[in-house]
Amino acid sequence: MKQKSSKMSTLVISHLVASIEEKEILHGVSLTVRGGEVHAIMGPNGSGKSTLASVLLGHPAYAVNRNQKAGNTKIILDGKNLFSLPTEKRALAGLFLAFQSPIAIQGVTVMNLLRTSYQARFHGDGSQAPSVQNPVLARRTLVGGLPIADFMALVGDYARRLNLDESLLRRGIHDGFSGGEKKKIEMLQALVLRPKFAVFDEIDTGLDVDALKAVSMGISLLRKSGVGIIIITHYQRILKYVKPDYVHILVSGNVVKTGSAALAKKIEDSGYKEFTG
Amino acid sequence: MNTQPPVGNYKYGFHKPEHYVFKSERGLTEDVVRQVSAHKGEPDWMRDRRLTALSVYGKKPLPLWGADLTAIKFDDIYYYIKPTKDKVSDWKDLPPEIRDTYDRIGIPEAEKKFLAGVSAQYESEVVYKSIQDTLSKKGVVFLDMDSGLKEYPDIVRQYFGTIIPTGDNKFAALNTSVWSGGSFVYVPKGVHVDLPLQAYFRINAANMGQFERTLIVAEEGSFVHYVEGCTAPIYTTDSLHSAVVEIIVKKGARVRYTTIQNWSTNVYNLVTKRARVEEEGTMEWVDGNLGSKVTMKYPSVYLMGRKARGEVLSIAYAGAHQHQDAGGKAIHFAPETTSQIISKSISSGGGRTSYRGLVHVYPGAKNAKSKVVCDALILDERSRSDTYPTMKIDEQNVQIEHEATVSKIGDEQLFYLTSRGVTKEQAQSMIVNGFIEPIVKELPLEYAVEMNRLIELQMEGSVG
Repeated sequence: MKQKSSKMSTLVISHLVASIEEKEILHGVSLTVRGGEVHAIMGPNGSGKSTLASVLLGHPAYAVNRNQKAGNTKIILDGKNLFSLPTEKRALAGLFLAFQSPIAIQGVTVMNLLRTSYQARFHGDGSQAPSVQNPVLARRTLVGGLPIADFMALVGDYARRLNLDESLLRRGIHDGFSGGEKKKIEMLQALVLRPKFAVFDEIDTGLDVDALKAVSMGISLLRKSGVGIIIITHYQRILKYVKPDYVHILVSGNVVKTGSAALAKKIEDSGYKEFTG
Repeated sequence: MNTQPPVGNYKYGFHKPEHYVFKSERGLTEDVVRQVSAHKGEPDWMRDRRLTALSVYGKKPLPLWGADLTAIKFDDIYYYIKPTKDKVSDWKDLPPEIRDTYDRIGIPEAEKKFLAGVSAQYESEVVYKSIQDTLSKKGVVFLDMDSGLKEYPDIVRQYFGTIIPTGDNKFAALNTSVWSGGSFVYVPKGVHVDLPLQAYFRINAANMGQFERTLIVAEEGSFVHYVEGCTAPIYTTDSLHSAVVEIIVKKGARVRYTTIQNWSTNVYNLVTKRARVEEEGTMEWVDGNLGSKVTMKYPSVYLMGRKARGEVLSIAYAGAHQHQDAGGKAIHFAPETTSQIISKSISSGGGRTSYRGLVHVYPGAKNAKSKVVCDALILDERSRSDTYPTMKIDEQNVQIEHEATVSKIGDEQLFYLTSRGVTKEQAQSMIVNGFIEPIVKELPLEYAVEMNRLIELQMEGSVG
């Protein structure tokens, strides 16, 4: 029973309202995702797709739920409302966001971030792990209950499966990385951190076919292990490799239609006109 | 929000009862200088050197540049204090409260780990030292400066004040007149000291000036790494630390001098450090400045011989009410000399860092190369960083590079890191540690660990 309940996680987003600089972007988006499902959120530029991704993780630039008439906003993961929690607490609860254009952070190596966040996610609340930032101490430290060598092997294994140059792991994260490398590093983090729900924001843009295949493989792997997936995309390119269970069309901050994988095909053929008019 | 006085945050700010054998009167007079010299039983030439320095000190004005020093109350300072009757070489012979102080900063622990000798300074005087037999077998001398003067008067007399003359600056003159303690290191020709020589010292008496004098002579083809780390307890009023470090790097020798300074935040730390580097010699300064109210420190390399090399790696962290005015100087006198100055500074909580540096290439220093990189990281809007680079290039065929960057921690960076489950404080700390990592990795292991820990302590409460 216990195992079953941990596999069957549920994420319920209800009445998500968000605005930036007094301009309302999302007008009350609701969505329910279960573990192992793949949901695609499609929509034209400016429809609020990336806002949805940022707001789920609690980006501080967005004001949420100013509009009371939309009802009570909730983000409930396995019965726990994350809505008023800071970003790191949402991450620790099991949310993950793969950024569309992740920012570079000089000096914070990929391996260091993986180690620190893995430690935070699987060992305490994150405040317990300051020493792992120290490269000297880190060598002797267990990471999230895993001996450091095993952890490195785990990371190395995923890196190879993504066909990632392992020297990137020792560089500042996204610092001078190519577009494809950035997407793969985002995917690598998703694989290592084993979230309950992962949001992929435009993971397919700017990828060559090989990288697209690697990233799709990653999504399939997560799906198989019971992770609920939200793929945010403009085109249905990645959906050729990962078949979604549900497709939601987001237009002007509202979900205007929900359907099956066939809906994505329809968008490919005739665009968003039908929904924007 | 947090209106605690700055020293209240200082983790190592415990204070032990003072225990003296001899304490000079407040302020600096000829009598004090004579007393100090007589008390130490010094030769006449040193006493005369001190007296000359005293008169130079009186005539020199405070520097008109750099940090604000007007609040130093020179007349309130005790210039010499001797805490115990004799130096001890056994840990158990130390007075209990001194031992307790060391316990609290982990000296016995450190001693087990420290692989070469430990020379710990407590209140102006080296009271505890243990030098491994291997050093003396190789002919390496590692003593406190007072013992160095007694046991090796000729060497000391030959080099003392030749690298930093008495009249170099006001604080060098002050140090020369009242110096006490510090280290004397002599490495014979061709000898490599494999393990770092470590001096760990702290000061404890309120209002006490601390004026160590260090002299390192590395003969031809030798190598030595000297490490000093300091943590200081709380003072009731402003305190002055003004050391002088002179290093002679002979032909083909290499000296590395590592400092981690973490004075409590009411200390004025005004230090003159300089090395003379002969043909094909190498001098490396690794300098970390975390504590103090005001630091003015610019380790210098005087590249005198062909192919001499000098390097300065400097880290400065200025928190609330702190001003770190640090940097380095490289003076090229000979052809094919190379220098590199890399400075990383961090300011938070309204603190201020300044990079101040000089690269001077004299005529004839053909094909000299110099590279200066100074990077500043500013953690909040109240903090400040400035850069004062000076270049004097009097030779045509040279290669000089200068890079400077100023960066801030952005909201998007913090969002990115927190989205991976680390707290905002941890995220800041990761960015800061990443920023200084290129220098931290040059530190001996214990100091790398300590450096990261001290940076974290510094950052506590600075995240808004």
